[in-house]
Amino acid sequence: MTTDAAGASSQRVLWMTFFTRGWGVACLFTLLLTSCHLLEFSPNQVAATGGARQLTAQNLARLRQQPRAAGGDTVRFVFIGDTQRFYDETAEFVRSVNQQRGIDFVLVGGDISDFGLGREMQWVHERLRRLRMPYLTVIGNHDQVGNGRRAYQAVFGPLNYSFEYGGTRFVMVDTNGREVGCNGTVPDLGWLRQELADTTRRTVVACHVPPNDNDFDPQLMLGYAAVLAQHPRLAVHLAAHIHRYTAGHPFRDAVPYITTYSLHKHRYHVVSVWGRRAFSLQTVDYGPAS
Amino acid sequence: MDRRLSGWRGAAVGVALAFVGPGPAAWAQRSGPFFVSVQVAGGTGAVAVGGGYWLANRRLEPELLVGLLPGRLAGGRSLPIVSLKATYAPKGFGLGHSDWRVSPLTAGGLVSYTFGPNLYLSSRKTGRYPTKNYYWWSSALRLHAFVGPRVVQTAAGGWPRRRILGAEIGTTDLYLVSWLTNHTLRLPEILTLGFTAKAGGTPAYGPMPGPGNTAP
Repeated sequence: MTTDAAGASSQRVLWMTFFTRGWGVACLFTLLLTSCHLLEFSPNQVAATGGARQLTAQNLARLRQQPRAAGGDTVRFVFIGDTQRFYDETAEFVRSVNQQRGIDFVLVGGDISDFGLGREMQWVHERLRRLRMPYLTVIGNHDQVGNGRRAYQAVFGPLNYSFEYGGTRFVMVDTNGREVGCNGTVPDLGWLRQELADTTRRTVVACHVPPNDNDFDPQLMLGYAAVLAQHPRLAVHLAAHIHRYTAGHPFRDAVPYITTYSLHKHRYHVVSVWGRRAFSLQTVDYGPAS
Repeated sequence: MDRRLSGWRGAAVGVALAFVGPGPAAWAQRSGPFFVSVQVAGGTGAVAVGGGYWLANRRLEPELLVGLLPGRLAGGRSLPIVSLKATYAPKGFGLGHSDWRVSPLTAGGLVSYTFGPNLYLSSRKTGRYPTKNYYWWSSALRLHAFVGPRVVQTAAGGWPRRRILGAEIGTTDLYLVSWLTNHTLRLPEILTLGFTAKAGGTPAYGPMPGPGNTAP
C-alpha cells in the first residue's frame, strides 16, 4: 500500500467514523447553525438577538392607521396591569380580548417583566402581538430592576410619552419613584405639567404605581395630585402595581383614581371615555383566579 | 465609587490570571495543564477571556472569565462581567486516525457577576426598599447551566498542545424560574447559545492520551 492510499484510507475511516458515530454531533451542530437567535451575550443585554425593538413607536403607528373601533366620540380600550411572569395567563388574556368588539387598543399598566430582563419583554411581546389591536405599555417598577430601564427603552421606548387618539390625549408617566430611591425626580412633574398644559382635550393619565401607594415618592405625591386636579378635562387616572381593583378620589378632588387587576386575576377592565370627561369601566372575567 | 473600584480590581485579577496560562512555551511545559479561553456569548458578555486549569484527567475545567457587554448591547454604559465557570467534558471518541476527538455532550455551569450602575448583589444593598426581600433575586449575580458538543485537537507537541472548540446551549436561573412556573413558555424560548475556544499547555506529567498514544 502506498502512502497516498494509506492517507486516503485514513480519510475514509475519518468520514465513516463521523457518519456512524458522529450523527449526534452533526445534529447538534445543525441545531446550532439554525438557532442563532438563541445567541445571548448576557441576560442584561437590552434586546434579544433579532428581537423586537421600539414597540411603542410601532404600535402608535399602527394605531394611527387603523379605523376607529368604537362609535361616535367614544374611545374604548382594555386596561390590564402586571403581565410579569404570567405567560400562561397572558395567552388566555389575548384569547379573551380578541373576542371583544369595538376595542381600539390594549393598555398594559407596567411590570411587563418580572426581573427587568429584555428577554422577558420579548416573551410578553410574543404573546401580546397576537392581539387583533395594537397594545401600549407604561413602565413598571419590575421593569426597572437591574438594567431593566435600558431594556424597556430598547424594546418599548420612552419611559414618559403621550399620544392622541380619537380626540383624547393619553399621558403615560413613569411613577416608579422607589426605583430611584425616592429622590424627587420620578415622576417628572415638570414634564407632566407640560403634557397637561393643553386643557382643551379630553385626557387620560396612566402609570404603574398609584400616587397613594408606598412605592410612590412621598415628596411628590401631593404635587402630582395637584397637577392632575388642575386639568378640567382629565377623565380618569389609571394605575396598576397593587394587582387589584380600587376606585376612588383619594385626594378629594375631581380626579377618579382607578387601579386594575394583574394578569394573575383572570380579569381585566374595558375603559370607555367620551364626551367632555366621561368614562365608564366594565370588568371582564375570563376564568377562575389562579 | 467603591463598587466601581472593586469591579475593576476583580477585572484586573481576572486578566492577570488569564495571562498565567499562555506564557512562554517552556514555562507552560513546566507549569502543568493550564489553558486560556475565549468565550463568545453564553451569558459571559459579548466576548470574555480567561483561563483555567484542567483537573480529573482533563475532564474537568474550572476557569475564570472576564467579559464585557458593550454599551451598544447594554443600552448605555458597557457592563463588565466576571464569571467562574466549570465544564465537565467526557473523553468522547476519536475521529479516525486524525488528532481530533469529539465530545458530543459536555455539561457545565457558571456563576457570573455583572458590574453596573443599577446591578446589586441583593435589593437590600440598595437601601431603597422598605422590606428585606423586596426583590428576592440578585440583579447582578446569575447562575447559568449548559450542555454542548466540542471538538478537541491534541497536537504531538509544542504549545498549545490541546485546542478546543465548543458550543454551549444553556439557560439562566431566572429564565428557568419563568419556565418552571409557566406551561406555555416553550423550552426554545429560554435557551441561550454561546461558543468557547480553549488552548492549553502541555502537562508536566507525561504524554497525553490520544490516537496511537494511549495513556499508561
